[in-house]
Amino acid sequence: MSASLQPARHEDLRLVSGQGRYAADWNLPGQAYAFMIRSDRPHALIKSVDLSAVRAASGVLLVLSAADADAEGFKPLPTGAPLVDKDGKDQKVAAMPLLASDKVLFVGQPIAMVIASSAQLAQDASELAVIDYEDRAPLASVDKALSPGAAAIHPQAPGNIAMDFEAGNASAVDAAFAAAKFKTTHRIHSQRLIGAPMELRSCMASYDARSERYQVYTPTQGMLGMRGTLSAVSGLPADKIEVIAQDVGGSFGLRGGTYSEQVLLMLASKKLGRPVKWTASRSELFVSDWHGRALTLEGHLALDAEGQILAIRFNDTIDLGAFNCYWGAFIGSKNVSVTMGGVYRVPALHMTSRLVFTNTVPVSAYRGAGRPDIAFAIETLVDAAAAEHRFDPIALRRKNFIPKDAFPYATANVTVYDCGEFEAVLDKALRLADYDGFAGRRALAEKNGKRRGIGVASYLEASGAGAVKDNVSGRWDANGRLNLYGVTGPSGQGHETTFAQLVADGLGLSLQDVRYRASDPAQSLVGNGTGGSRSLYGAGSAFKVLVPRIIEKAIQQASRILGGNLADFTFAKGRIEGAGKSIGLIELAKQLATENGTHPLDAQGDATSGTTYPNGCHIAEIEIDPQTGVTEIVNYSAIDDLGNVISRQLVLGQVHGGVMQGVGQAFGEHAVYDEESGQLMTGSFMDYPMPRVGWLNNISWDDHAVPTKLNELGAKGVGESGCSGSLPALSNAMLNALRPLGVKQFDMPFTPARVWALVRQ
Amino acid sequence: MTHAVMNKAPVKVILTVNGQTRQAEVESRTLLVDLIRDGLGLTGTHVGCDTSQCGCCTVHLDGQAVKSCTLLAVQADGRVITTIEGLAPGRESQLDFTTGNTTPTMPALHPVQQAFSACHGLQCGFCTPGMIMATVDLLKRHPNPNDDQIREGLAGNLCRCTGYVNIIAAVKQAAVLMASTNAGSAA
Repeated sequence: MSASLQPARHEDLRLVSGQGRYAADWNLPGQAYAFMIRSDRPHALIKSVDLSAVRAASGVLLVLSAADADAEGFKPLPTGAPLVDKDGKDQKVAAMPLLASDKVLFVGQPIAMVIASSAQLAQDASELAVIDYEDRAPLASVDKALSPGAAAIHPQAPGNIAMDFEAGNASAVDAAFAAAKFKTTHRIHSQRLIGAPMELRSCMASYDARSERYQVYTPTQGMLGMRGTLSAVSGLPADKIEVIAQDVGGSFGLRGGTYSEQVLLMLASKKLGRPVKWTASRSELFVSDWHGRALTLEGHLALDAEGQILAIRFNDTIDLGAFNCYWGAFIGSKNVSVTMGGVYRVPALHMTSRLVFTNTVPVSAYRGAGRPDIAFAIETLVDAAAAEHRFDPIALRRKNFIPKDAFPYATANVTVYDCGEFEAVLDKALRLADYDGFAGRRALAEKNGKRRGIGVASYLEASGAGAVKDNVSGRWDANGRLNLYGVTGPSGQGHETTFAQLVADGLGLSLQDVRYRASDPAQSLVGNGTGGSRSLYGAGSAFKVLVPRIIEKAIQQASRILGGNLADFTFAKGRIEGAGKSIGLIELAKQLATENGTHPLDAQGDATSGTTYPNGCHIAEIEIDPQTGVTEIVNYSAIDDLGNVISRQLVLGQVHGGVMQGVGQAFGEHAVYDEESGQLMTGSFMDYPMPRVGWLNNISWDDHAVPTKLNELGAKGVGESGCSGSLPALSNAMLNALRPLGVKQFDMPFTPARVWALVRQ
Repeated sequence: MTHAVMNKAPVKVILTVNGQTRQAEVESRTLLVDLIRDGLGLTGTHVGCDTSQCGCCTVHLDGQAVKSCTLLAVQADGRVITTIEGLAPGRESQLDFTTGNTTPTMPALHPVQQAFSACHGLQCGFCTPGMIMATVDLLKRHPNPNDDQIREGLAGNLCRCTGYVNIIAAVKQAAVLMASTNAGSAA
């Protein structure tokens, strides 16, 4: 046998050998197939919907329209947390119905579901639908929706404004700007993106009439979030719904709660008495998965003569899309306000945010959910101020960092950062990037006809979406193996490995003896799904608490079995010793195994974890070929303070992925609507440039751990930091290269055509 | 109204899949990937798009990597197909009690499969089967590939999780492992 390598993760063996099981891989006997009829109009009244030919078509079993959803009392999709505007009035909320009845407000909005004996027949039949539309002028951009005289997309939101949000202290900021020696304004547009997890959204629902229970096979970020939203929309009790997700092919914020399809499939399965399966096409997902970003943040910075920051103000414009679905409004208001001072001491902060309805796909969370955008806005604003008023950008940052002895630090809008060493992180990053050698590299590049730029970003973000408590359990099987359960749902993060490693290390067991499994319907665990980069320190902290509880039980049981005084027994390295005798934990667990499914060593762990503040310094170095407009990332260096790191390899994987999603946004990705027709112009991977292999070959990385005391692990979270660091670093690098040409403002994506056109001007 | 004139009469195809002769009846419009997944039950081959961009459905047809969504099932009649499940066939396996699946042990896997895991070249794993099948083909053409050859060889495969950094490392690691394996078996 040849030499072989060590697997990095528990998950890997099944995933590299084709044994993973994603939602569309499940099949059940007798399953029927669904297809969605969607609006091809961006803005229209529906005069009539004639589905009679669809119902009569070959193989069709059932057609669901809005009337069927209404008859069940189904509610519209969740609209997210309640928000109030600057005057204390409630946001004007527009909830998306499961199926459109009287009007459609974006291309892709679901109108009906066709269920047939095969997927092909369902799709064939859907083409027979006759829908009579009365078109209205599409308002497929914020500018159009806000233009004078624009029709109201929703009658309750005149002018298409859902809310004017405000945070911070306007008068303090006004006073600071009045007294400022230097002022700078810089606007960023974090363009609309398609999240595009590689797994297509898919769902199979299977209703069991005897138990009146539904099994729902669908990708999710956590059982409770998916089950909770299915229950809220359908009105069915949560305990009648079981969500099954074994392997999830990426989520990035898009898979947290139900869409229309999952709830309709439950109804279809009940009506037909057989399982019903639906798998989207990719083109369909471009117009039906929630879109991401779509924020314009205009920053204003006030400095005194020495470069001390006096105040920051943001005036933001947020594209919600056609409806409030989940997190769009929260992202564009509260989430971009929390860390609006970044890593700096800023005496006065103020922001306004205008949330706007448009005839486009609703916007919700995408990796970072507003945090990368505000970090991007702050760090490009600081660079713009340095350039405009001739400060060294590094020195300007140093002068204004919150010093390490100032923690806990309450910002001017009362966010409390618990810890951080921003200058030490910056220094490490500058060394890693050989910042001092940049001038020489730039001179060399210029000789070769290239424009080289370097961009520094000292980002900070708030991690910790959701409720504060996480609850996990450990249950032993008859073979002396420990099965761990929690409700946070993995989609590539490696939970099965990291949580098992945490517990195995704590108990002195081999990694092979411990397994993690997301969810366990038989248990009533509480906790959060994957989101806000919190799974490691949320569920992980609960697992850390679980370890001593198991040890305590093991010592009690061992002293009873071996005989002796309880106080004489101790636990070390997987063994319990005392009274001259000892027993291994696994052997003990085998001896104690029972037939009834419970085990004396079973235990639960729970932990309460607060918001953490991952931060870091990313430095990008790029080279533009003015002849072609092609930009190459020639160096990328990052130092991240993620608190304590459990698995360096897996953490680095998260950094790579986050940075590359930033690279994708910086150099290619952009969901573009045609303003005249309201159609999505980038409707497939042929038109929407996804990052490909070679866009960035290497990332120089190290960590600088400043452990937080706000959770058991001292970890801060890593899932989204790569986006928060890379967007400003890459943008600053581009502007650094282009400022000598007089460029002050250049929005992403920096595609070759746009760069070439700019350089030629 | 293409459905009214389309010939939906089933067509019989016989092909060799992972070393076994398989036969199936398909519609003339059935894509090869749908035959593999739905007809033959080999769900390790994935569908990630509808424009032949993502490469999740990459399999080997007569030893060459192809996107199985770009071929009709009838075009594979009489030909030899290898899917991710057949890349390292007939070796020892173990039961994964987390999932109930039977999965191969690490030494039983193809060197490319081993390297993707060892280098953490996968996260969610959805693109991975296609990425591995494309890499096996790439390493056949370039046993010791440079960055440009990797870029060219995997240009048709999308990954949303890894940022590709560890995929590049995995391809290079697999090349080393295959070279040492070949040297070992030659000696």
